Amino acid sequence: MVSENFIKKEFTMKLIMTDRPLPLTSAASGGEIRYVDLSSLKIANCVGCFGCWTKTPGRCVIRDDATRVYPLIAESDEVVYVSRLRYGGYDSVMKTMLERAIPVQQAFIRIHNGETHHVQRAVAPKKATIVVYGDYSDEEKDIFRQLVGRNAHNMNFTGYDILFTASDNADGAVEKIVSQWKKY
Amino acid sequence: MEKILILNGSPRAPKSNSKLYAGLFSDYCPRPTDYAAITRNNHLELCAQMEKYTDVLLVFPLYADALPVGLLNFLKSLEKHPPRKKPVISVLINCGFLEAHQNDIAIRMLRLFCRNNGYETGSVLKLGSGEAILQTPFRYVAKRSIRKLAKAVASGRHQDFSATMPLTRKLFLWASTVYWTNYGKKFGITKQEMQRMDIESPDNR
Repeated sequence: MVSENFIKKEFTMKLIMTDRPLPLTSAASGGEIRYVDLSSLKIANCVGCFGCWTKTPGRCVIRDDATRVYPLIAESDEVVYVSRLRYGGYDSVMKTMLERAIPVQQAFIRIHNGETHHVQRAVAPKKATIVVYGDYSDEEKDIFRQLVGRNAHNMNFTGYDILFTASDNADGAVEKIVSQWKKY
Repeated sequence: MEKILILNGSPRAPKSNSKLYAGLFSDYCPRPTDYAAITRNNHLELCAQMEKYTDVLLVFPLYADALPVGLLNFLKSLEKHPPRKKPVISVLINCGFLEAHQNDIAIRMLRLFCRNNGYETGSVLKLGSGEAILQTPFRYVAKRSIRKLAKAVASGRHQDFSATMPLTRKLFLWASTVYWTNYGKKFGITKQEMQRMDIESPDNR
């Protein structure tokens, strides 16, 4: 058991995870800001084997690029996720990665905010900004707000913002957030 | 009698609880059923097949608070390749949490898809505690609700249903801990190992 180390651990990483390339790679990579363009990675669908809970706890049995990403999600205390909106949820690229991130949780259940949820491993409490783009209706936006509210329980968000943007404006929205990070 | 097509949207379709739920639906359904698992490679085939049916039942688990990505991808294919005659779409969703309402967002997504693409939504069954319920004395709760779903779909008198283990959260927490501890034991992993807090390093490949 190494839980004590992780309780004491200070999380200071910031993560930008996007489903399409953003024109800020050089500015954002390295140091405490990490940039992950999921569209450039090979990430298979979760197969629901529960191996990361019951065979190799904390480690996915599929050894593809996702295994480099979920540790970053866990370590970051601020995240920006950029995704196309589809039927009121994340589109396939982002959703595939979020499903592959379950090694950061345990199989075991806890009572959290009055509901049953999985116990988190060493996952930093995090502020999340979700930038979603595409063509969407008010109903889709409403479903997405509800979804992120629920994600907050399961992904250790301490707070979150959702920015609904047109496809062309997503880059600018992220740029603004990164420049704010750099000020502090 | 018109057949009902059951589509399994679970990522582990051959070994899934969704397959067991589909089997129960089939057993209880007064109308004949056909069954298929959604795979990465059979989207077009299934889209074409759907026009032979008046009713389709989607059976799947909740994944990361929403539709599993394999099902999401199938819906995107269905949007591009709609069947000429559109069936009524009913849903049997399950999640591992006690609260069946944790499935609500996935159901909203499916209803939105159906409305935007000209499908009538039929009946819905939301199951909580769906990972383990069939292996417990509470399996009757799941069976009873699936029987009701099957009758509603078969008759066209559509309804929404919701069911879960009749336990308090604290008791569910205890029962689920026993369930997962025994699950790990099958692979020689102790409860303490399953409870480890560390996650592999990003450089560990």
